[in-house]
Amino acid sequence: MPEDKVSGEPSTTDAAQDESTGSPGLSEHQSELLLRMIRVAYPHPSFPDAPYERTAKAVQEASLTDAVLPEGLDDLDARADGDFLALDDAAATAVLEQIDTGDFFRRVHATTVVALYDDHEVWDLLGYEGSSYEKGGYLHRGFDDLDWLPRPRIEEYDGPPRVELVEGSAS
Amino acid sequence: MTPETIMETEMIMDTETADLGIDIPESEAAVVIIGSGAGGGTVAHELATRGIRCVVLEAGPYLVADDYENDEWAAFNQMAWLDLRTTSGSWRVAKDFPNLPTWIVKAVGGSTTHWSGATPRFMAHEFKTRTTYGEVDGANLLDWPITLDDLAPYYDKAEIAIGSTHRHGRAPQPAGNNYFVLANGAERAGYRYYATGPYGTNAEPYDGRPGSIQDGFNFQGDKHRSKWSTRVREIPRAVASGHCDLRPSSQAVKITHDAAGQVDGVEYVDADGNLHKQSARVVCVAGNSIESPRLLLMSASSLHPDGLANSSGQVGRNYMRHMTGSAYATFEQPVRMYRGETMAGIIADEAKHDTSRGFAGGYYLETLALGPAFLASFIEPGEWGRPFTEKMEAYAHTAGMWIVGEDMPQTTNRVTLNTDVKDALGLPAPDVHYDDHANDTTMRSHGFAAADTIYGGVGALTVHHTPPYPSTHNLGTCRMSARPEDGVVDGWGRAHDVANLFVSDGSVMTTGGAANPTLTIVALAIRQAEFIAAELGAGRL
Repeated sequence: MPEDKVSGEPSTTDAAQDESTGSPGLSEHQSELLLRMIRVAYPHPSFPDAPYERTAKAVQEASLTDAVLPEGLDDLDARADGDFLALDDAAATAVLEQIDTGDFFRRVHATTVVALYDDHEVWDLLGYEGSSYEKGGYLHRGFDDLDWLPRPRIEEYDGPPRVELVEGSAS
Repeated sequence: MTPETIMETEMIMDTETADLGIDIPESEAAVVIIGSGAGGGTVAHELATRGIRCVVLEAGPYLVADDYENDEWAAFNQMAWLDLRTTSGSWRVAKDFPNLPTWIVKAVGGSTTHWSGATPRFMAHEFKTRTTYGEVDGANLLDWPITLDDLAPYYDKAEIAIGSTHRHGRAPQPAGNNYFVLANGAERAGYRYYATGPYGTNAEPYDGRPGSIQDGFNFQGDKHRSKWSTRVREIPRAVASGHCDLRPSSQAVKITHDAAGQVDGVEYVDADGNLHKQSARVVCVAGNSIESPRLLLMSASSLHPDGLANSSGQVGRNYMRHMTGSAYATFEQPVRMYRGETMAGIIADEAKHDTSRGFAGGYYLETLALGPAFLASFIEPGEWGRPFTEKMEAYAHTAGMWIVGEDMPQTTNRVTLNTDVKDALGLPAPDVHYDDHANDTTMRSHGFAAADTIYGGVGALTVHHTPPYPSTHNLGTCRMSARPEDGVVDGWGRAHDVANLFVSDGSVMTTGGAANPTLTIVALAIRQAEFIAAELGAGRL
């Protein structure tokens, strides 16, 4: 799905999509580091690149005005003998584990968990259907289509009333 | 809301308008109600329909059904109370969401816009916890000054107003996918007291509103208006009575009093930042359990040096937020928990006081579903890597439940004014301090074990224990007490120190019970309004 056709993006990614590639604060190499970092930290083998790219832009948009992001990205290279992009997934994950309590990682995380999972292409990939009201809800579209368990009772239990104060429990 | 938006809304929604009612002069000493949620909206309805002139000051905008969004973050940013707050204490929310201690609503209708709809009543012994539970170390337990018998007739009225399913002839909600899993798991675990309610959303048309079309998004308002809220029922009826002046986007900042100590006005800031003062004969504070004590503390004066109505020192103390937790279980087969009513499923078997379990009080287990957008932020805050993404990839095969039970009141769990941090109006931000009590953590562990049993019985592959979300149930910070030295208000919610000042929200709860609090807030508000009307009628107020 072309990224400009994804409907209803959150405002952060909308804004990011209006930008040309990269951000004023990041070099092309730093942008590649960020994308790789997000791919490694939030690995979904079935996801294409587009949602990750939109998420990386959202992270840049959220951190335009300070040095935490570029410095943190440079630090990834420093922790990888100068080339974080050359590390395999396991080695890259090990680098991130060294820094995951720091401000840089936490900031990337805070935006990623919102932007990546508010992405409508990701919703499709996870099997989530999003807004339902304009489609008439799920009344006739499977709100009760679970077929691997028996249909349960919906009324309250008609036996003896529940014991609310168990004997011997009152002080 | 602009006049253009209101007109547009009227054209689209022929059955509802954003009518603001009559104009009451600021110089007229009216009943001033601060907040339009479960408590304030109900008091406004009860008084205005009796012909008593009321001004309702609501901090948030007037959002109607057409404004609501079927989109978690968009709706959150539209209606959540996001004014700056700080947190302290050992509760996990302070670490994960340090500036978001609560998850409540700033809009007409208050947090009834957001509520899911579970309407259990308090149990008789939950009004007498000090007597029933005895002395619990570190807990500031106190018996309520009223009993279940006092409140029972008002529970009836509240259930009829809300249209609670399974009550007063209202049909039950049908079983949705998430309930299939919860109920079958409950049955196999030996539980018996499970059902799809009582639940405050119409299964069938009732009270001028339609039955549910199982469209989910209960937390985001309800575009279909099947869910009860004061925004769809009490507020429009109060306004239509011709005795109510509703003022949205009006943030109360101070309650004033006369030389004798009786309250006589409320200062508030409008949407343009202008300060107003509305004269008052009676003030009802219903700003939820953070803003209500904050407003009383900000209203300190030479007569009330520690805050208005705070001679007891209890304003802001005994903050309760319920023992909560969630369990998300994954299965081989699809569940699609998000389809249909969010909380139409409740197990009551553990809602009892049974000390053989190792803790005082009890809890409910209720269906709960989040979309992927919210689940990513809340299922295990801070987690990343493959353990996290595996949870997200199982989304369509995941069932969810919420565990909600009584937490212990503690004097040190407390809302205070953070004089180091100012909100957008330059006023001290509220700080919300909370430490879990040992009773709370023991109960949470028991609830997680119950969830493991329930989901394990129907073949769960994994069950994840999710820590508490920012608080939706905020209680106790202006508690009722028989003696003035033990609490802030009496059994009617009237301030011990100020005869014409009332608190009308969940702040008044002496203890929190296990039940979701909205039904009890509404019942207390109906009872309080009846008292206020009688006192006004008799010339005593």
